[in-house]
Amino acid sequence: MTAEPRPDPSAAGTGAMPRDADVIVIGAGPAGMSAAVELSAAGLSVIVLDMNASPGGQIYRAVEANLNEGASHGLANALGAAYSAGQPLVAQFRVQSNIDYRPNTVVWELRTDGTVGWQQAGRGGYLRARHVVLANGAMERPMPFPGWTLPGVMTAGAVQTLIKASRLKPSGRVVLAGTGPLLFLLADQLLKLAVRPALIARTDGLGDKLAALPRLRPAALPALAKGAGWMANLRRVGVRTVTSLTHLEAVGNERLREVVIKAAGKTMRLPCDLLIVHDGIIPSIDLAQGAGIAMEWRPDDASWRPVTDAHGLAKPVSGPSLSPGPNCVWLTGDARTIGGADAAAAHGMHVGQTIAASLGAVKSRHASHSSPAKRYAQAMAARPFIDAAFPPGRWSVELGDATIICRCEEITAAQIRSCAQQGVTDMDQLRGLLRCGMGPCQGRSCATAIARLLSREFDSPLPMPFRGRPPVRPVPLGVLAQLQSLDPDLSRSEALDDKPDASSRGGIDV
Amino acid sequence: MFQPIGSPEAMLTVYFDNLPVTALPGETVASCLLRNGVTRFRTTPVSGAARMPFCMIGHCFECLVEIEGLGSRQACLTVVREGMQVATQAGPATIYRGANYDR
Repeated sequence: MTAEPRPDPSAAGTGAMPRDADVIVIGAGPAGMSAAVELSAAGLSVIVLDMNASPGGQIYRAVEANLNEGASHGLANALGAAYSAGQPLVAQFRVQSNIDYRPNTVVWELRTDGTVGWQQAGRGGYLRARHVVLANGAMERPMPFPGWTLPGVMTAGAVQTLIKASRLKPSGRVVLAGTGPLLFLLADQLLKLAVRPALIARTDGLGDKLAALPRLRPAALPALAKGAGWMANLRRVGVRTVTSLTHLEAVGNERLREVVIKAAGKTMRLPCDLLIVHDGIIPSIDLAQGAGIAMEWRPDDASWRPVTDAHGLAKPVSGPSLSPGPNCVWLTGDARTIGGADAAAAHGMHVGQTIAASLGAVKSRHASHSSPAKRYAQAMAARPFIDAAFPPGRWSVELGDATIICRCEEITAAQIRSCAQQGVTDMDQLRGLLRCGMGPCQGRSCATAIARLLSREFDSPLPMPFRGRPPVRPVPLGVLAQLQSLDPDLSRSEALDDKPDASSRGGIDV
Repeated sequence: MFQPIGSPEAMLTVYFDNLPVTALPGETVASCLLRNGVTRFRTTPVSGAARMPFCMIGHCFECLVEIEGLGSRQACLTVVREGMQVATQAGPATIYRGANYDR
């Protein structure tokens, strides 16, 4: 047991600051919960920081509330067995006594030496541990199109969040557009909630499924069967579906009024209250990037992912490090590689066991029947087929000049192209010139699309993402002014009379 | 745009632009406003265009509102409280004017 915080002279970088736990886990989805459970079962002290109000991540969001008291809502039935499957892991997570679980907590900084900056309800500070497990999950792939900033356009994940966490379902004329298993899962869930979409417009088609067939492994058969079931249900109910979507446009003034769709060469306009878009999911790289972890571009997936070894240990970028000492950040779950909930839980367990072994901690429980590494490999065996069957659709379609790419600063494709034509090849340089990536979202929504525009202009390998710097999420000044556990070596207070005399240097006298 | 699933449940009262709106205990400010048909959470600092939540999980920052006088708060990550004061954010955040400032 090493529950007592104690200085560890062997690790450089955190100076004399006491450690708050053996391990800090960021994110309480399947990967983070599994890792925390393993570490705690091995007798290690664990702090889990999570943005949500209850454990489960996005996939199992509010699973406790919906399964315990939700029988009358029919929600458990609508959300399906894959959702209910999260309950045992959440229950396991809740009973571990060594887990200091801190919900509603936003992490705004991560350093490779094991320092984590956090804020919660108007307070904030730093925590330190011997290892950090980054399990902050995924985001939906942003796929810009004309009108995508209009109120009334939301992602499939957003609608699922409203269903799970708030018991709200769409009403009015609903259109779904894009690709990926989540789009069809949501359509199926909507039908079970008595919401009938007016249209489903898919970018993927039969050709993609045929092209994916050579990658089909037995492990993908359950996913294939599930998908076929959703499709059959949609057909049976008579939901109109079009494939080979190439153009999507949201039209309206203060809010969405209609959508324009071009699919298989045919253009149609239809009135719409809620346009639900989804184009697959990609790792959420914000914290890893801010910590200086190396990023790898995956052309087939049109996304970056953090560079790690098979165990999940992160590889910092080469060159001068942002923090001294060896890296102690591990990545797991969808934040490392998109694999879905089962793969995430298996890999999180593997990371937990690996860290516990490296710290000499022995698990007190009996060993599980199959190794997590093997379970992870099994869960991932289905991915090549799924990825090929649902390629990032409109990624290959040229972005229109007037399309807003950076939602925060309202910067269009034409502005970015114009900079590229003047010789700007670097994302950071572009950010300095145009402010794209400098708004509140810090480039989360625009980075992949900008990379795509730059690569088209130069017909070159894709550039690196924006350089990330903490805080990766906004921190109120009042929180910054009262940060707890500041490193005394790195911080000092200055009174106003310590300031150099401005007038003596010819400055403005205040 | 959205409607409740199942029967109505115990509700809290939250104030949006000084008008009372109902909220489900434990839900976020973003879902509370969508429940009440709000489609204009903020206007952008650049063109003044209306925006509402896009991702609902803390990535897009489109749901920024003023909460208890403090601007640029992510409505999708903030849980409602009885009597909470929420306001549309017009353009960039303004400087904090105190917890119970007089509008």
